[in-house]
Amino acid sequence: METSRREFLKGVGVAAAGSAVGFPAVVSAQARKGVPSGPVKIGVMPIRAGVAAPVGAAGQRGVEWWAERVNKAGGILGRKVELVFEEESNPKDTLERFRKLALQAKVDVIVGGISTAVGLALGPAAEELKMLWLSWDGTTQKGVEETMPNPTYAFRSVDNEVEAIGGALLTAKYFKGVKTIAGINNDYSYGHDCWETYQAVLKRYTPGVKSVLELFPKLGVTDFTSHIAAIQQAKPDLLMTSFWSGDTTILMKQAAAVGLFKTMKACFTTGGGVHDSLKKEFTPEGLILGYNSMYFNHAGASPLLKQFVREYKAKYGEYPPYECDHGYFTVESYKAGVEKAYKAAGEWPSKEQVAKALEGIEVESLSGKRSWRADHVQMCNFFQGITTHKNAFDFVTIDPVEVLPTAKIMKPTTSTKLLDWINATFPLKG
Amino acid sequence: MLGVAAAAVLALPLAAPVYHVLLMLPFMAYAVILLGLNLLFGYTGLVSFGHALFMGIGAYTGAVLTTHFGVRSLELILLTAAALGALVAAPVGALCVRYVKIYFSMLTLAFGMLFYTFLLKFYRLTGGDEGIRVLRPSLLGFDLEALAKIDYLAGPYYYYSLGVLALAALVMWRIVHSAFGLCLRSIRDNPAKAEALGISIARYRWYAFVISAVYAAAGGALLGPPTGNVDPTLAYWTHSGNIVFMTLLGGFASFFGPVLGAFVFIFLQDTVMSVVPYWRLVFGALLAFLVIFAPGGLMGLFAGRRPGEVSRV
Repeated sequence: METSRREFLKGVGVAAAGSAVGFPAVVSAQARKGVPSGPVKIGVMPIRAGVAAPVGAAGQRGVEWWAERVNKAGGILGRKVELVFEEESNPKDTLERFRKLALQAKVDVIVGGISTAVGLALGPAAEELKMLWLSWDGTTQKGVEETMPNPTYAFRSVDNEVEAIGGALLTAKYFKGVKTIAGINNDYSYGHDCWETYQAVLKRYTPGVKSVLELFPKLGVTDFTSHIAAIQQAKPDLLMTSFWSGDTTILMKQAAAVGLFKTMKACFTTGGGVHDSLKKEFTPEGLILGYNSMYFNHAGASPLLKQFVREYKAKYGEYPPYECDHGYFTVESYKAGVEKAYKAAGEWPSKEQVAKALEGIEVESLSGKRSWRADHVQMCNFFQGITTHKNAFDFVTIDPVEVLPTAKIMKPTTSTKLLDWINATFPLKG
Repeated sequence: MLGVAAAAVLALPLAAPVYHVLLMLPFMAYAVILLGLNLLFGYTGLVSFGHALFMGIGAYTGAVLTTHFGVRSLELILLTAAALGALVAAPVGALCVRYVKIYFSMLTLAFGMLFYTFLLKFYRLTGGDEGIRVLRPSLLGFDLEALAKIDYLAGPYYYYSLGVLALAALVMWRIVHSAFGLCLRSIRDNPAKAEALGISIARYRWYAFVISAVYAAAGGALLGPPTGNVDPTLAYWTHSGNIVFMTLLGGFASFFGPVLGAFVFIFLQDTVMSVVPYWRLVFGALLAFLVIFAPGGLMGLFAGRRPGEVSRV
């Protein structure tokens, strides 16, 4: 391929600009054999409305931050990254958006997907359209078993139940005297699955533990006074919840108003999703709090995470939640997959070649090393711990921080039955 | 005009990009639903905010039959959906048509939300929020499994849906232009006079309700296969709101108004969603504009009807 004078100067300019901002000098696209000159199009599907909108925004911000850095460093194999956004909403509309990205915008890869119901529709669609799809989040057991048993193009998120498994492990470790438990979880598959899983794992450590109350308010409910009254009445030793959105904060405030956690322990498996709204004034110390796959204040944070947290705070005025990392990981792994496949193929790889390259790949994500299992499942660490007020913020953080790898707390294959695996695996040895 | 539209729709899979062909699938399903809804809305004067109930019944019929009973024939699915729609509509309609205006609307909304709650709460039976998969149905006895899904949807399924829409439109045309249709309009315009003429208002409204439910269920059954999964949002009240919006957009005073509304709504939403993150705001403003300045919808604008004339229709 010949390089024109203008293209050459553009390449030199990009390399010089890269050097100036501290990135390694880059080689222009035209200098790479077999690499097209146009941008790499990445379809991004964040949720933009309803209770999950902040989660969608966090995933989008993680992707945007990644794209900005990658473009400053010269793109993927010299090709600039262009993000094309379409909204995730209900399964029917999201599938139409997905098809638009694949057929109309002709993107190279699609990232996103938070709801399991949406994932159940997108998984088969990715295979039908032969479109690489790297999911961010949201795979309950039904999604694990049904979405894509033997996928070629679809890569799915971590099993949702791992947070509940982690919460149960920490409950067994830190709250040894717990005999009775109550659960308040949202009335949909995620809430039901988490509650069942939490109990199953906890019973492996404390066989006599008994559930005295289970509540399933609708997702999006904002008044828990009657639920809290019922919990007070049931007098459990511990309250477990998998709330992950603004309802976590509301529950915490309303519980604080009646001093609920003065009489019982609590395990918030996923409350870290809204961590900086859990103010010290109403969130007590000593609760279990899960941050999913990224803890912004981790003592062992990489320079990458520290930079991200700093820039995120400066730009948005808040501290990043975990979904940023799901977003970042999917696109960073795509880049690594393309580069790996390029080395083998000697030209810009096909979607099939990238998919193959992604199997088993490990990259540096915001939260540390993350990978894709050979069967297209995300692998990462989960961060949970005990709430503390000893920090420089006006909200709680966790100390100690327990790092729970999915290699230990997620079932090893999609075909394994979750409860069978729990019974065979827990209590963990060592 | 109708001939040109029909020719364009027939030729579309041959000429248009495949994505636009696929967008026509929900359009045709909604067009069937809206033909039925408008029998109630435009011709009988009853605004239902609960028709997502029947769309949900149709969609879930396809899912349950293909996934749990191994029934793949779309003809059988459509017939079963229509029958179940009528079966549920019979008692629901009998209760609802005793009321008019906002009371009718609220009662239909309540029944719709009851079904939505059933779908959400009976997790083991309905799949809860995750719903149930819809396996690819066979068309006219051909299983078509060998075709790639996109080719199946953009080819045979497209023309099948078009056939169902044409049949539904033909039947509805006959209904609204029959003596029965005339009775419905007289009930809408002057119930007291209609009753004095010997028309049983409640019974005719009930007939219209059941027929519209049959259409909604059949259209709902057509919505499932392109997505491959059905979920409770199909039965949520906002879905009922969407089809009322489509009817207003196209114009409820015209036979083909709601069909045009479905077309414009789907293609407008497709464009606006890609351009503006706050597309719901745009649609909200559009709805307000329609109600205030163009209650006759797009067909009213074409026909040059003044708002006052339409609101009396």
